Amino acid sequence: MFGPLLGSLGEIVQTQYLLPLAIGTLAGMLGGALPGVTITMTIIIVLPFTFGLDPLAGLAAMVGVYVGGESGGLVTASLLGIPGTPSAVATTFDGFPMARHGQPGRAVWLGTWASFFAGILGAIFLVAATVPLARFALQFGPWEYFSLFIFALSMVAGLTEHSLLKGFLSGAIGLLITVIGTDPIMAVPRFHFGTDFLRNGFQFLPVLIGIFAFAQIMTDLERMGAGQRAARIEAPSLAVSHPAVIWDIVKRPFLMLWSTLIGLLIGVLPAVGGSAANVMAYDQAKKFSRHPEKFGTGIPEGIIASEAANNANVAGSLVTIMAFGIPGDAVTAVMLGAMIIHGIQPGPLFMTQEPRVAYGIFAAYIMAHPVMMLLQWLLARVYLRVVQVPTSILIPNILVLCVIGAYALNNVMDNVHALLLFGVLGYLLVKFGFPLAPLILGVILGDQIEVNLVRSLMTDADPWQFVTRPISGAMLALSVLSVVLALWQHRRQYRRAAAPAAGGPDTDF
Amino acid sequence: MLSRDGVAGLVCLAGAAVLALASRGLPQPALVPIGPAFYPRILFGVTAALSLALVIADLLGPRRPAAPPAHYRLVVLTFVIFALYVFAMPALGYRVATFVFVAALQMVLDPPRGWRWALALGMAFVSTAATYLVFEQYLSVLLPRGRLTGF
Repeated sequence: MFGPLLGSLGEIVQTQYLLPLAIGTLAGMLGGALPGVTITMTIIIVLPFTFGLDPLAGLAAMVGVYVGGESGGLVTASLLGIPGTPSAVATTFDGFPMARHGQPGRAVWLGTWASFFAGILGAIFLVAATVPLARFALQFGPWEYFSLFIFALSMVAGLTEHSLLKGFLSGAIGLLITVIGTDPIMAVPRFHFGTDFLRNGFQFLPVLIGIFAFAQIMTDLERMGAGQRAARIEAPSLAVSHPAVIWDIVKRPFLMLWSTLIGLLIGVLPAVGGSAANVMAYDQAKKFSRHPEKFGTGIPEGIIASEAANNANVAGSLVTIMAFGIPGDAVTAVMLGAMIIHGIQPGPLFMTQEPRVAYGIFAAYIMAHPVMMLLQWLLARVYLRVVQVPTSILIPNILVLCVIGAYALNNVMDNVHALLLFGVLGYLLVKFGFPLAPLILGVILGDQIEVNLVRSLMTDADPWQFVTRPISGAMLALSVLSVVLALWQHRRQYRRAAAPAAGGPDTDF
Repeated sequence: MLSRDGVAGLVCLAGAAVLALASRGLPQPALVPIGPAFYPRILFGVTAALSLALVIADLLGPRRPAAPPAHYRLVVLTFVIFALYVFAMPALGYRVATFVFVAALQMVLDPPRGWRWALALGMAFVSTAATYLVFEQYLSVLLPRGRLTGF
């Protein structure tokens, strides 16, 4: 296992791979630092640049974006009090107060070093866990895959913050999008209403780009229309004693390990994402702390926990996509699309059929961390100037790159039309309060759910097989459990909201 | 009276009904028991049930306070300009359409005064030239040529 990894590390440090990795990491750090530009948006922007590259070089760039994005978010979170990316939300709680108390360098570098250490621990998990999990997934038949995908969808829909029903409906809309076009079993065109545009269905990348990019951009434009503009800021000095910062982290080994573990486990769960890892690790750090009342005042524990978790989350997401072929979140969903474009199908056979690419991804993930450290050291102050690029310049350029990303998939305008169509749909869904993550997962898994359902029923018409086969039955039981848990959680939240005066405000966050 | 959730539920219900009706025209294969309409019909059923539940929950649930008024002017203008860009590209070609799009959208989002007109046009030129050179010359992505411009 570690032999091929060493070979891949030797390969990834060659210029043809290291350069895309470094550029991707830089783009990720800038995107992560830019408030309003998420890591998903950054990877969408970077995507078209990877089409002309060798598959490993393209994926190295994307891994760089992912790792860099998680770290870039902490710069604006600590120095401006604005999370550059949703996965840096909890970093603001202590990073910003620490910076305001005259320690901006310590705030930024505590987060950066915590990200680095968590990334390295995550890499060990990534390399050690992917192969056994992929072997386990080799036991899966169509029943197990169907149930696994249902579990993934039910979990994502159940994690919706506001309305459970809307979470499930959003997933169902995603699945509906995939039934338009050619039926994957018998190649019969369906629901095209006589138009050529719908006859072949939608490729999922234009759908994903349209939904995410427009939902984000148009929401920003609403704020801009309301007259909200970013204030101009001065870049402070980030000089700091690195041994002291490292000691700050090393002397809290339990905090570091626990936060990393939370990040990894949340990353492995389909489509949960770095923001949940970031906030949950912060919450756990506070609960385990001897002085929870100091959280939120600028203490190192808050920064270490939140930043370690969001970087470890990347490794967890990569495990899920490489072992099961299911994206851990929206960023890995784009990576999945890029892999498919390059003719690579992630899943249980990925490690054995594409060992060079698989170990190359491991190596890229490991190398992205020192590259991220170097870039942070060289450019952290520059990011603060870059994040002040006017939105009026940023948005047209992002939209142009979205168009190229959709068009370049197979050089047809239909994909660009789909981009526009799903841009409008994505924005409307956001306005109607629908979460987008279940929809995207539905679009990604829709075909596979249909194929595995039909295959299993054609092999054995008895539908009880889904329940009686141990792995499949366990997955379905977990799906039911996740729905019940979500219902219970929503009911509890509803009760709390109904009686706000009873116990005072919830001070957890 | 229905609120936002109820309206969304009704729209989804109508969409599921339209697609369910359209599935009646799909062929049923003679040799295999499961046809191309099998899975979509399950989905339509699930979607319809969820939509109906959303409508009912909206009717029976407590009224939520109205959201503060949103500012849609820039959103609508951006969608319109983007749609024009997309539909004009086959006629004008990538380079002309992109230059016009970037310049126009910048001017709408932040109306320039004085020398900033030149800056907006310069940005549009740089964006177009940079993306064209990177994608077409370096990454071998053949960007659309215009029917009218041949460019």
